[in-house]
Amino acid sequence: MNTPESARGGFCFENAIRNSVLSANGYKAPTARKTGTTIAGVVFEGGVVLGADTRATSGATVFEKNCQKIHYIADNIMCCGAGTAADTEHTTQLIASKIWLHALATRRKPRVATALSMLKHMLFRYQGYVSAALVLGGVDFHGPHLYTVYPHGSTDRLPYVSMGSGSLAAMAVFEANYKDGLTLEDAKQLVYEGISGGIFNDLGSGGNVDLCIITADGQELIRGYAKENERKYRRPGGYKFPSGTTPVVPGSEKFKEQSKDFALVTEQDGMDVSA
Amino acid sequence: MSILEYNGGCVLAMAGKECVAIASDKRLGVQLTTVAMDANRIFRMHDKLYLGLTGLMTDIQTLDQLFRFKLELYAMRENRLMKPKTFASLVSSTLYSKRFAPYFSEPVIAGLDKDNKPYICSMDLLGCVAEETEFVVAGTCAESLFGTCETFYKKDLEPDELFETVSQALLAALDRDCISGWGAVVHIITKDGVQTKELDGRMD
Amino acid sequence: MPLSDFLDEDLSIKGSKSRSNDLDLHELSYSLGNELRVPQVERPSHFIRDAFVDVPEKDKLRFAHGTTTLAFAFQGGIIVAVDSRASMGQYVGSGTVKKIIEINPYLLGTMAGGAADCSFWERDLGRRCRLYELRNKERISVAAASKLLANTVYYYRGMGLSMGTMICGWDKTGPNIFYVDSDGTRFKGHIFSVGSGSTFAYGVLDQGYSYDMSVEDAIKLGQKSIYHATHRDAASGGVINCYHVKEDGWVKISSEDMMIQHRARVSERKAEDEASDAAKAAAAQPASA
Repeated sequence: MNTPESARGGFCFENAIRNSVLSANGYKAPTARKTGTTIAGVVFEGGVVLGADTRATSGATVFEKNCQKIHYIADNIMCCGAGTAADTEHTTQLIASKIWLHALATRRKPRVATALSMLKHMLFRYQGYVSAALVLGGVDFHGPHLYTVYPHGSTDRLPYVSMGSGSLAAMAVFEANYKDGLTLEDAKQLVYEGISGGIFNDLGSGGNVDLCIITADGQELIRGYAKENERKYRRPGGYKFPSGTTPVVPGSEKFKEQSKDFALVTEQDGMDVSA
Repeated sequence: MSILEYNGGCVLAMAGKECVAIASDKRLGVQLTTVAMDANRIFRMHDKLYLGLTGLMTDIQTLDQLFRFKLELYAMRENRLMKPKTFASLVSSTLYSKRFAPYFSEPVIAGLDKDNKPYICSMDLLGCVAEETEFVVAGTCAESLFGTCETFYKKDLEPDELFETVSQALLAALDRDCISGWGAVVHIITKDGVQTKELDGRMD
Repeated sequence: MPLSDFLDEDLSIKGSKSRSNDLDLHELSYSLGNELRVPQVERPSHFIRDAFVDVPEKDKLRFAHGTTTLAFAFQGGIIVAVDSRASMGQYVGSGTVKKIIEINPYLLGTMAGGAADCSFWERDLGRRCRLYELRNKERISVAAASKLLANTVYYYRGMGLSMGTMICGWDKTGPNIFYVDSDGTRFKGHIFSVGSGSTFAYGVLDQGYSYDMSVEDAIKLGQKSIYHATHRDAASGGVINCYHVKEDGWVKISSEDMMIQHRARVSERKAEDEASDAAKAAAAQPASA
């Protein structure tokens, strides 16, 4: 087995021994960025509406006020992520790639159930250590589907779902107002209210409401469907520092001209993969 | 104490009009003892792409070497330079491949893409990308830097104005952090070249 | 004594028999409020340890730590010099803290460890030194004053007080420095430095110290020692405060930003380098000629 590490796939543990020695010596491993989150989804006549807040936190600090928690899986499937931000991001990216390869191999439009089983298999294999809690929604030829996936790999299929630290707030709204056979507008309003409930009542959630509507005709991602936490005040005109305000170490200034050896070339349009 | 705070230090990047700034302090400490005042934590990947690394210095240096190596390979294979966004994906997947035994470093990427549009992003140590349009911060005084940047940032600053704004935001935050400071360095990346200046900051 | 209506003796640490016999002193100490009240549990020190010491990092009460303070005696009296940074963990809380506490016109105390502990108990010491003066019609000796403080902190030993202080003054026996800390340690000496930056300060101090040095040189040495500590120690910084204790009491010498010293040192070094370069060049010249 002389496969190079880069081609072998899976995680690399070359720092594991060093890191465990460090933590045995009292240097605590740092915490990763989390998405203390409210994510949710609702099924309506002919599609699903997914929703998410936009706050990413690191400890008590809001590190990102407008991050995107609705991830792309395929043109007809999207996935909201809660938990460790890096895990939700990379897990959904990996599944998106696998789904695309699968679609090419089978020459069929991806199905939501395929994405679901790929996700649950992966998460189950990692025993919950990949901490991604997901809301998976999409429309395929069977119609609209909505699932939740827990970090250990268990899944649910329900007409309205919520996940993340703000899931209780969102679920309270859904339990009160959900009806079968919602229209698109009613479903959007309901998801918005649910996410809003999370944003305002859960400290880990905040920022804007993002929505994603998936129907048989395609999907529409609405970033900032509601922006109820915009910055209230900015100093008119801002702060201006005249040139020379900052003391510079004499003789430290250097200027390096741009070299012309290589160019930044745009990548080509996507490969033609139509059958 | 977190291992990310063992050596101290911070990095800040801010976008301007067809220009981008990346700045860091120069301290290298061992907990509370200042060992060096000429530490480098911003690395040139190519003329329009800079990488700032905060956290544990041994990992900063390892990662710098690793990414330089990967970029050389890319340049040889593709005969072109890597776009900042592509580089961010490379950094992200490299860090995430060590999800369960990570490098203790939080990177900041600043560069100009082919239209000289600024690109900035930061990551956590597992490689979760946070792309921003205004500014990104990382390191031991990230909280203070958020405060100063939120106040001082303005849209579409010219290179000279951007230098002053970034410098003031950085110096103000450094003075509130014990384990960052001892001088600072600012790089302003423009389509014509990269202007580097060292700041005369407090030495305590 | 209206205040004692609210104070249940059982709750107070001074519940021991010997103390309650001395009723006058007891009531006086209540009314003057110099006594800390401890938790109503069987073993207060265990309670305090559980609440403050054996807790996760994030729940810990953070006190201002990180300091450089120094004091040394020489032929012209005592020089006391300190930095002025108050750090809370790695965060700089303030850069202009007064770490030299003026106990009375003849006594100075320094502050390291918990700022509140130092300022409270040294203020209390000032009050008791004044009472001593009124009772005995003469000033308290530095040895006695420092012993009062040492006894007080020893009383609360293991209950979370955090202080490392130098009591400096001039009495009948001449200039005296006593080191007192919250473990109950107390000793007399000529040269002390306390705090996270003390090792750096000691390095400079020991290198430059001589008992016969002039007042001017001694002041410079004190300031320089603190400057080097602020430079190398992350938890020290800000303004350097310097006092001189003389036979007729203390005087404040200076209060200047460490960056002034830094700039002076940088330009001094540069001048030295240039001079030695010039000397080398001059030495090389005749050889080649």
